[in-house]
Amino acid sequence: MPMISRRLMLAAALGAPVLSQAQNPTGVPAMKPPLPATPAAAPGAPRTIQWEELVPADWDPFKDFKDLNFQLLDDGDPRAAALLKRMRAVWDAAPTNPKLVGQVVRIPGFVVPLEDTNDGLKEFLLVPYFGACIHSPPPPANQIIHVLPKTPAKGFKSMDTVWISGRLTTPRTDSYMGVSGYRIEADAVTRYEEKRR
Amino acid sequence: MKALLRIAVASALNRRGTLALVVLSIALATALLLGLERLRTDIRAGFAQSVSGTDLVVGARTSPVQLMLYAVFRVGGATNNVSMDSIRAVEAHRAVAWVVPLSLGDSHRGRPVLGTTTAYFERFMYGDRQPLAFAAGRPFAGTLDGLYEAVIGAEIAQALGYAPGARITLTHGGGDTLAAEHADKPFTVVGVLARTGTPVDRTVHVSLEALEAIHLDWAGGAPIPGVRIPAEAARKFDLAPQQVTAALVGLKNRVAVFNVQRFVAEYEAEALLAVLPAVALDELWQVVGPAEQSLLAISVLVAVVSLASLVAVVLAGLNERRRELAVLRAVGAGPRHVLLLLAAEGALVTLAGALLGAAVAAALVLGAGPLLQREFGITLSAAAPTVAQWGLFGAVVAAGMLASLVPGWRAYRLSLADGLSPRT
Repeated sequence: MPMISRRLMLAAALGAPVLSQAQNPTGVPAMKPPLPATPAAAPGAPRTIQWEELVPADWDPFKDFKDLNFQLLDDGDPRAAALLKRMRAVWDAAPTNPKLVGQVVRIPGFVVPLEDTNDGLKEFLLVPYFGACIHSPPPPANQIIHVLPKTPAKGFKSMDTVWISGRLTTPRTDSYMGVSGYRIEADAVTRYEEKRR
Repeated sequence: MKALLRIAVASALNRRGTLALVVLSIALATALLLGLERLRTDIRAGFAQSVSGTDLVVGARTSPVQLMLYAVFRVGGATNNVSMDSIRAVEAHRAVAWVVPLSLGDSHRGRPVLGTTTAYFERFMYGDRQPLAFAAGRPFAGTLDGLYEAVIGAEIAQALGYAPGARITLTHGGGDTLAAEHADKPFTVVGVLARTGTPVDRTVHVSLEALEAIHLDWAGGAPIPGVRIPAEAARKFDLAPQQVTAALVGLKNRVAVFNVQRFVAEYEAEALLAVLPAVALDELWQVVGPAEQSLLAISVLVAVVSLASLVAVVLAGLNERRRELAVLRAVGAGPRHVLLLLAAEGALVTLAGALLGAAVAAALVLGAGPLLQREFGITLSAAAPTVAQWGLFGAVVAAGMLASLVPGWRAYRLSLADGLSPRT
C-alpha cells in the first residue's frame, strides 16, 4: 500500500475542502476508463451506466463523521487509525442502488478473475479501477460487481478492461454484512477499446 | 499431373540419401514446434485446473506466485510457516465460510506429503468445481485411532502399486534416496483418490496430528539420540498442530474477497499474505510469458533453417539434374511442368518431414507424459492437436511449399539448349 498520509486519506474520504468538491462522492479515483459519450440507447438495448450511479444518490457516508474536525488529527495519532477503521466499516456496508437493480445495464471495468477454466472465465469480479487487489484499500461493496458470464469469457486475464452487459441483481443468499454488492449474469463480455482521439 | 507426381516421387527416391537428411531436419523442427506448443497449452491448462472454488490462499508473507507454487502446485518450498492461531483468526472472520489448513515439507519417494484436515476432501475442488472422488477406500479418519492413516493420489497408487492396506513410511524433508525416514511410524493407506490431472495425484495426504506425531522426537532437527517415542506412545502427547504452511479459504460471498484479503494482509500478530489463485496464476504467466515467446521464436528459427537447407539441397541438385530436366523438356514437357515437378518434390519432402515431426512430437508427449505427471502433476494430452498446433503444422508445410518454388523457378529459367549441351 503506498504511503498516503492518513490525514489526506481522511480528508479525501470525508470530502474535505483539501480536495476539490468535484471529486465524486464515492471517493473512487479517476483512474477508471473514461466513458465515451453515450449514444442515445436503442430501445431494449442495455443502458450504459457509470460507476457513480451504483451508489444511491441519498447515501451519505459522512453522516457519522459530520462533527469531526479531522484537520486537528496528526498522522501518527492513533485516533486517526481508529477513524479509518470505522470508515472502512461504513464503506464495507455501502448500500446498493435500488433504482438500478433489475435493469439491463452496460458498464466498463477491470477484471479480477475468480474461476478460470479451460473454457475461459466463469466467474470474475468487475472493479472500477486498476489495482483493486492490494495496492489500495478495497473498493466499497457497491463498487464491486460479481460477474457470472452466461458463456465463459475466453482470453481474458487479470486486470484486463472489459465491457459487460446484463441484468443487474443483488444476490438473495445474502449472508455478509447485510449487503453484498451487485451481481450480473452477463450476456456479453467484450474487450474495452479506447476510442482514438 | 499424376504422371508428374510419379516422376517427382521417383526422382526424390533416387536421391533419398540427401533428402532423407532434409526430411529429418524438417521433422525435428516440426516436432520442436508442436511439442513446445503442446507443453505450453497443457501446462497452462494443468495449472488453471489445479484449484477451483477456493477464494483465497493464505500463507506466510512471500511472493503471491511462490505461495501458489508451493501451496497448490507443490513446487519449491515455503519461506515460513504460519501459526495455527492466525489461521483460526482468519476462520473467525465473518465473511469466511471455511478454512482448510495445509502442512507441507515431508515426502514419500519424492512425492509431497500434505498434512491437512478431513475438511480437505469435502472442500478442495479442481477443474470446473469438481470435488475429489475416491477410487478406492475412504478419507483418513482424523482421529487418534486413525492417526497413522494416509490417502494417496492416483499417480502414486499406479506408479508404486499401492492399494488400501499398503504400509508406507514417510521421509523427512524432500528427496528420494539417502533421506531420513520416519521408519518407526509407518502409515497405512486407507484411500486412493480418483485421477484429477492435478498435483493431488502425486500427493500423500495425512492428518495434521499425524505430522505432529512423526516429528515428536525430531525436536532438535534430527532424531534425538536415545529418545525414541514409539508409534503407540505418540498418541499420548498433545498432537494439536501449532503451525501450518498455508491454508485454503472459502468465502460466504465472493464479493468480500478484497476485504478478507486486506484483513489478512493487515493482520497484526503475524506477517501474512492472501492471494486470489487466479490472479496469482496470471502473474505467473506474465513472468513465464516472455520465456515461452523466446522458445517459440527459437523453434520458428529452427524451422526456417531446416527449410533453407531443403532449398539448398534441391538447388545444389539442379546442376546434376540439368540433363534429366533437359530430357524431360525434349520429350515435350514445358517449362511450367519442370517448375511443377520441382515444387512437387519440395512439397513432398516437407510434408513427409512435417508428418514425421508430428509423429515424433506425439511420441515425445507419450514418453515424457508420465515423467511430467510424476514431477509436477501435469497431464499431457496426446490426443487431438490444438488449433495452434494445426496452425503451426500448416505453416511449416506452406512455408516448405513456398520455399520449393525457388529451385522450381531456377529450373523454369534454364533453357532447353542449356540442358542439352552442358559445358562440363
